[in-house]
Amino acid sequence: MAHIHLGEGTFPVWALVLWTLVGVGLISGVVYRVRKGGIETHQIALAGIGAAASFAVFQLNIPVWGGIHMNLTGLVGILAGPLLGALIALVVNIFSAALGHGAVGLIGANTLVNASEAIVAYYAFKTLWGMDWDVFPASASAATLGLSAGAVLMGAIIVVSGVNGSALPRGDLTIAVAGLVGLNLGVAVIEGILTGFIVQFLASVRPDLVGLADREPRDEPTGVTA
Amino acid sequence: MQRWKQYGGLFGLFAAFLAAGYWGFTATGGALPWAKRSAKALQRGVQDGGGALVDLGRGIVVAGPIRKGGLVLEFFGLVALLVVVGIGMYVYVDRYGGFEDGERPAR
Repeated sequence: MAHIHLGEGTFPVWALVLWTLVGVGLISGVVYRVRKGGIETHQIALAGIGAAASFAVFQLNIPVWGGIHMNLTGLVGILAGPLLGALIALVVNIFSAALGHGAVGLIGANTLVNASEAIVAYYAFKTLWGMDWDVFPASASAATLGLSAGAVLMGAIIVVSGVNGSALPRGDLTIAVAGLVGLNLGVAVIEGILTGFIVQFLASVRPDLVGLADREPRDEPTGVTA
Repeated sequence: MQRWKQYGGLFGLFAAFLAAGYWGFTATGGALPWAKRSAKALQRGVQDGGGALVDLGRGIVVAGPIRKGGLVLEFFGLVALLVVVGIGMYVYVDRYGGFEDGERPAR
């Protein structure tokens, strides 16, 4: 899913500085809110599992549409919440850049992209859940929307920054980037379905982990009981 | 909300995004690995291309930098470690009800 795979030196220096500063600002705000509000203990465990799953999936290239990788950031956002989701995005991007998957100079930009996926997925899920949606359509839609937000942000970052060495005028570059964003929207569907099944399973075995323990069952049991 | 409305909305979203995905696939060169697709599209603009949407013959490939650097074993070791630590923390929290008071700012 959305991840800027361009090499070092592809963006101008001012863009690297800008996206790094914005990324630092986001993470600073997240850390401040985490320190101020604290974290539910079960969320720490979920964050560990989410970071492991996200990092592992990040490195696996799947032979669909030429070759793509998933992020699971929508799942991470729904399970761990927007604050830990943003921190997980940072950790996964640092690990990935250390392995050569994504430029070190783009850690700030990539953290923004992946954190936006987790944050939007979380709030979309909460909104749909509040509208009395079932778990699967709510989580699949939320993850898909979150991932699409990340894809659009990725495209915007590339277009705003410009690409060193590209002779394309800004209009043509925008169309080319729109193609990359469009492809990501298609992949978001696959990841959204996967996320929907995972959240539905978790909600059926441990609804408290997904924050769904307080909802009354939709279908009351029918039939004769002793 | 009624189920047909929920799933109708979900399928509508999926249909729109899959259509955008297919356009993006063809407009950015067709069946290309992402790095080549990205470099080509950003250097030369949109160019139609074809090829299989799904090519299972390629298998699932570990990211190039890990594979070329001979770090596949280390990668899977790290993944296993993270998974074990994550599950271990989950079991610990589930069994003992969280961390000691004062050790972590838990609510």
